[in-house]
Amino acid sequence: MKNRKKHAVGLLAMGRVPEMALKIVSAHIYGYLNLSTCCLPALALPQECLDKKRLQYDAARIIQYLEGQSFPGCSKIIGLVEGDLFLPIFTHVFGEAQQGGTHAVISLARLQYRENGCRSPDSEFYERTAKVALHELGHLFNLFHCDDSQCLMHFSGTIETLDAIALNYCPYCRSFFTDACRRKELISLIK
Amino acid sequence: MQDKMRIMVVDDEMIVRESFYHWFNKYGHDVETAASGDEALEKLEKRQFDLLFVDIKMPGMDGLELLDHVKSQYPETFVVIITAYGSIESAVTAMKSGASDYLLKPFKPDHINLVMEKIFQQKALKAEYQYLKSQVGEMTRFENIIGQSPAMTRVFDMIPEVAESDSTILLMGETGTGKELVAKAIHAKSNRANYPFIAINCGAMPESLLENELFGHIKGAFTGADKNRQGFLEIVSGGTLFLDEIGEISMRMQVDLLRVLEEKKIKRIGSNQTIDVDFRLICATSRNLDELISAGTFREDFYYRINVIQIPIPPLRERKEDIPLLIEHFLAKYSRETTKHTDRVDGEAEKILKAYDWPGNVRELENAIERAVVLSKSRTLTGRDFSFLKAPPPPESKGRSLLEMERHHIKAILEECGWNVSQAARVLGINRSTLHKKINRYELHKKEG
Repeated sequence: MKNRKKHAVGLLAMGRVPEMALKIVSAHIYGYLNLSTCCLPALALPQECLDKKRLQYDAARIIQYLEGQSFPGCSKIIGLVEGDLFLPIFTHVFGEAQQGGTHAVISLARLQYRENGCRSPDSEFYERTAKVALHELGHLFNLFHCDDSQCLMHFSGTIETLDAIALNYCPYCRSFFTDACRRKELISLIK
Repeated sequence: MQDKMRIMVVDDEMIVRESFYHWFNKYGHDVETAASGDEALEKLEKRQFDLLFVDIKMPGMDGLELLDHVKSQYPETFVVIITAYGSIESAVTAMKSGASDYLLKPFKPDHINLVMEKIFQQKALKAEYQYLKSQVGEMTRFENIIGQSPAMTRVFDMIPEVAESDSTILLMGETGTGKELVAKAIHAKSNRANYPFIAINCGAMPESLLENELFGHIKGAFTGADKNRQGFLEIVSGGTLFLDEIGEISMRMQVDLLRVLEEKKIKRIGSNQTIDVDFRLICATSRNLDELISAGTFREDFYYRINVIQIPIPPLRERKEDIPLLIEHFLAKYSRETTKHTDRVDGEAEKILKAYDWPGNVRELENAIERAVVLSKSRTLTGRDFSFLKAPPPPESKGRSLLEMERHHIKAILEECGWNVSQAARVLGINRSTLHKKINRYELHKKEG
């Protein structure tokens, strides 16, 4: 049997997503968590997930769509979405993940702008993208939202609060993460 | 670190229930969902929830109706109203009915966190309030005796007073009123608290056994006495001896005990050697000792010896205002012991428990609640759970005049209505002034306790 190379996290562009965003997310996942990543072939945004009244994509339905796709060799999948995401109860979300599951999506739409509507410099945009990706990846490893306002697992619903969060996990979440990776034997999948 | 909460989301739209479910899961909360008000009430009956998110528009019972139910039956549960069709009117109605917040769908993700933070604070305040309330509750207890009625307050007041002296005490009260608890409380408050407290039920033992238990014996005193044995009068040395059902002991034992009380010396059975004893005696009886004296089965001199201080313990039917406190206490006790979550009684059940005559007093109430908790399948005990309590038989009318029967009936209705004359008059079908005249004529008085 052919021994296919296995990756911990597969990164997937959905729509027009800058390649640099994928590279930055990949570098952060490896740098912070020591997990291997791979960039998967890009997919178009499924139009059935677009809510025509809200002109936003339903995050839960995109995850459902991803569940129907096959990504051999990847333990976790993070989709980077060009469009704005929502959940039925919320006006918007920066990302959504299956708690302790396999698939997550993050939206780049709001990360490019500051609260006042001005476009952010690329450095800010990429840092936010990395933060949201690491946060949703935490959920895929069954980490809960954290009360520590400096922790990556702390919930942020606005750009302002997202910018206030440090680009790191608190010791408690980091230790939980390491244990979760060990349980899933993903440490052996280091690049 | 915030506590994890038990949350229920009540919304007829599955997509909304799922969104909430996944969202709260990310905080590690314990989340359940219900598609209708009826389903929510069923779930609430089975387990306790800290917080409900309730949609206003639902088929059948709407959210505001559910809010009313929850606030009347489960006031400790917080409710946040959610709606996609907000109006000032519905918001005002919801908040007036006790909702903790009112959210318009869809809401900003940060907004729900602010709401949760507010609920956490309210929950913490409520917990603090409950703690302080329980501390106040402790003040209505005295060494595990529960009651705040005037009758029990008098008993509580007497305990520390009589505890200081060494006088013999006679506790008079029906079976199950808690005479032994009062005796223990007196012992605990006395200078003898660090010495033994021994309780003996005289009614449960034949004379020879009681004598042996109290006085002890020496080896060879009787067949089977193969070694020396101390009696309780010796063992209790320095402490308190509680003799329950003192009215049941034989005339000979009364003489023996009288001698012990006067001389403070005993002889073990079969021995001529006297032993000094030091104890405080508390006796209790559920019988009328005066009648026993008249019948010649109780010695008058012994009666005066044990009746230095008399404390009457009121029967439960004369302190019905203590019943809710006792219910709360026993529910907590048996919910804990049986690990069931039964923590309340509904209005009908409370009415039944208050109306019942409780011939077995607090012990019977405790047993009734234990039985109901064990057999109940829900959090709330209803009237049906107490259907085993038999109604007291109507008073024997044979040989009683019409006036006597009227007096008895008016008294019973007044007590049932808590001496609310207007209410009693309505039940009796007469006007208030007529009832007042009859109260005066029959010389009826509200019992003080």
